[in-house]
Amino acid sequence: MSWLDLFSAVCLIAGAVSCLFGAIGLLTFPDVAARLQAATKPQTLGLVLILLGSAVHLEVRYASGLILVGLFQAITAPVLAQLVGRAAYRAGSVRRDTLDADHLARRIEHERGRTL
Amino acid sequence: MVDPEPRHRQRRTRGEHVVSRRYPIGRAVRRLPMLGWLVLVWLLLWGTYDPGTAFFGIVVGVLVIWFFPAPPIATDIRLRPLRLGQLVLFLAWDLVVSTGRVAFEAIVRGPRVRASIVAVTLVTDSDHLMAMVANAVSLAPGNFVLQIDRANRICYVYALGAGEHATERVRREVLGWERRVVHAVGTGEQVRMVDRNHRSEVG
Repeated sequence: MSWLDLFSAVCLIAGAVSCLFGAIGLLTFPDVAARLQAATKPQTLGLVLILLGSAVHLEVRYASGLILVGLFQAITAPVLAQLVGRAAYRAGSVRRDTLDADHLARRIEHERGRTL
Repeated sequence: MVDPEPRHRQRRTRGEHVVSRRYPIGRAVRRLPMLGWLVLVWLLLWGTYDPGTAFFGIVVGVLVIWFFPAPPIATDIRLRPLRLGQLVLFLAWDLVVSTGRVAFEAIVRGPRVRASIVAVTLVTDSDHLMAMVANAVSLAPGNFVLQIDRANRICYVYALGAGEHATERVRREVLGWERRVVHAVGTGEQVRMVDRNHRSEVG
């Protein structure tokens, strides 16, 4: 077993554990916005680690394609989270009783008061 | 109302201006980075690096830019490779730390988790910087930008695992990201703006 194998094993296992945490969060968190954190973000780290773990065993020209996978994951996940989160908030799927502070509600209230 | 001269100047200081239709060559030159990026993606997708693939990459890139024109906005982004590298490293580190934090919340608190939605007003006023800051904030678990008020430079950030001092902590984190992003790609003037703001915050 070489150092490369060890590195690859550590990356793959850490990536899988990260995805597992995401799945646990998905089950235990109370509302859409919190679950969104668990569903999208640990997966990003998990995916990057798994890609890294497999890339070190591939030829360079095959491994280079994996850069794109990681990059697009890192660019698109936040956009997706924002869109889903925003829609969930507007649809009332974010539980207000879990929030300590909610500046957005104050703002929307304020705007409604002004337009009416 | 307002005479056109000051409004024009105001636009320029914001660092963005619409590319004029009257200068087709200038417009084509400004699209070159986009073409280069598309060719790079094409090469990475094929995994073969030879002139033939590059040629067809250019053909496809030109077609893509031709048929799906992006909004013609140019911005004076200054790339600082060292600072950009720091930003990427910091993003990676933050990804690891925050994943641990969210995992802790998921296992220990679970359904009793607390959160906050905090309004943060950014210092700089630029479409690109704001998009990059929002993306940086949203990449790591725990925080994400729920809503952006572009006109007033306000980000509404949803933060998981917030406590008593959540509002202040989230505000500091987001402004910290803004500082790093501006140091990596902002203009000199914007760098001075965030640094001045940072000094006044610290004391």
